[in-house]
Amino acid sequence: MIDAAYASWALLSRDLRAVARSRSQLYSSLLFPLMLLALLGTGVSSGLAPTSPRILDGDYTSYLAPGMIAMTALFSSTFSSAGFYRDRESGLLRAMLASPHSAQTILFGKALGAILIGTIQALAVLVLAVMIPGIDLAWQFGWLGGVATVVVTILALNFMLSGLSLLLAVRIKTMQGFHLIMNLVLFPLFFLSGAFFPLDQVPTWLEAIGYMNPLTYAVDLLHYASYANSSNGLIGPLIDGLVLGGLAVLLFAVGLRRAPRAV
Amino acid sequence: MPNAETEVATAALPAQLSGATFWWQEGRGAGEIDLSVRAGEVVTLLGPNGAGKSTILKMLSGEIEPQQGSVTIFDQPHGREARRRIGLVLQEPSTDDLMTLQETLQLHGRLFGLRGSTLQRRCDELLDSLGLGDRAGDRCETLSGGLRRRLDIARALPHEPDLLLLDEPTLALDPDSSAAIWEALSEKVSAGAAVVVCSNDTAEAEAYADRVVIVSDGRVVAEDSPSNLTDGLLHDALELDWPSATGDDIAELERWHGVGTVLWTEDQLVLTVENSSETVPQLFQRYGSRITGCRTRESSLRDAWFQIVGRPLTDSREDQR
Repeated sequence: MIDAAYASWALLSRDLRAVARSRSQLYSSLLFPLMLLALLGTGVSSGLAPTSPRILDGDYTSYLAPGMIAMTALFSSTFSSAGFYRDRESGLLRAMLASPHSAQTILFGKALGAILIGTIQALAVLVLAVMIPGIDLAWQFGWLGGVATVVVTILALNFMLSGLSLLLAVRIKTMQGFHLIMNLVLFPLFFLSGAFFPLDQVPTWLEAIGYMNPLTYAVDLLHYASYANSSNGLIGPLIDGLVLGGLAVLLFAVGLRRAPRAV
Repeated sequence: MPNAETEVATAALPAQLSGATFWWQEGRGAGEIDLSVRAGEVVTLLGPNGAGKSTILKMLSGEIEPQQGSVTIFDQPHGREARRRIGLVLQEPSTDDLMTLQETLQLHGRLFGLRGSTLQRRCDELLDSLGLGDRAGDRCETLSGGLRRRLDIARALPHEPDLLLLDEPTLALDPDSSAAIWEALSEKVSAGAAVVVCSNDTAEAEAYADRVVIVSDGRVVAEDSPSNLTDGLLHDALELDWPSATGDDIAELERWHGVGTVLWTEDQLVLTVENSSETVPQLFQRYGSRITGCRTRESSLRDAWFQIVGRPLTDSREDQR
């Protein structure tokens, strides 16, 4: 057990070091959501004057902030998961799997890197967003409880995404295929998560799809913790937590369980 | 006086395949492989690409389980403890460009449970012994192909494995890098480690292997020391460029005094002969300008392969399995 933890730590620290050295990835993962906040947020707030009761005082930029935090976690986690393919294509993964550890331990260590990197970058966007003048987060239950909820939500979201990546990695053999599937699946899911627009004013069929979307529950929880000034119109933390937590545990456990030794 | 447990451990075979079979979906693989690898010996699996060498190596490393038969490592079925004693070098250099050489070795050392000053010392020793000491802090992306390959070898060694499995470790390397790699491997063998190498380089097998296992079409077709495999060959070999050679020509040559095997590739005849200086003039006298080129050399493992398998050891880069 100690050996496995040590191995996971070794893999985790390697992935963290790799991200720290890959400056372009680091900067773009932070700048892109901030750019969206500044451009899309300001543009919609002043150009379209949204009137939905879910967008407080028509301030779309602030409404967008929790969604951008989720988006950062999503992209960062996906990008880190692509590291699995890089290691597989370079043969490094085979070399790692030749160690005494189970495939689960090796992949857990790698997934841990993706999860931690996704979480840190998402929280960095949160910190930067808070510092932007004009973004007004309500923190209805106080910033300490709010930040704690955001951290847990982001962690659960990243566990879920890592589990999904592991499952896909077993089936999809190339990085191009992985990115294609992720883009094909994740972009629509993300657009229908409530990150960009509230789901309560879209057509019923679209709203129904939205509620079948796991990301909706992550974005809802982030809105609940950081942005909203009441629970009105939100799904609520209990259902959000159950859906998100349940899927995170399920997908991650199944993803690890399916991990093959031969890659 | 050694106790009973030590004696058992000493006697354990580093690797044994008994009727081990694994066929990939596309039909390649290896079947009914019986092979024992003893401590302190170098065993070369010799064959062209696609012959099944890498499949055998994957069964030995535990990456794949035989569909039939069994694999034991130090007399135990494959598992965590077996992998702890194995060092694996893959066919292609496999390094992370963003990591330094030192970090690469440290990561793999940690995966094998090494830590602290022991890990640091082992990494330093290995980098020095493979001539990489002055590059320890450089990123892998700055290494040449030969240096990357040396790093691959070093990466398989931090935990001091008793069984080393190497898939074409010196393929396309410069002589210096090959020599450095074989020097490091020889040290391990002297210390009692067993080494299994996949190769299609007959000269290297002849120079370094204690035992050569000839693998063709997924089967072991011969197995012996290089000297025993070449023992039955006549002293010289002739390679004749003779595209118009016919079956009758070959039949006639086989009846000549001093001519051993006659094997025909697409446009070349390879003969083993007692004395090339006697045979070559006779050949040109008899066949004249139909022979457009002639090269002579001492017969070697390459000819033994040719004789045993019935076709040349080509280097087609097809299926890598």
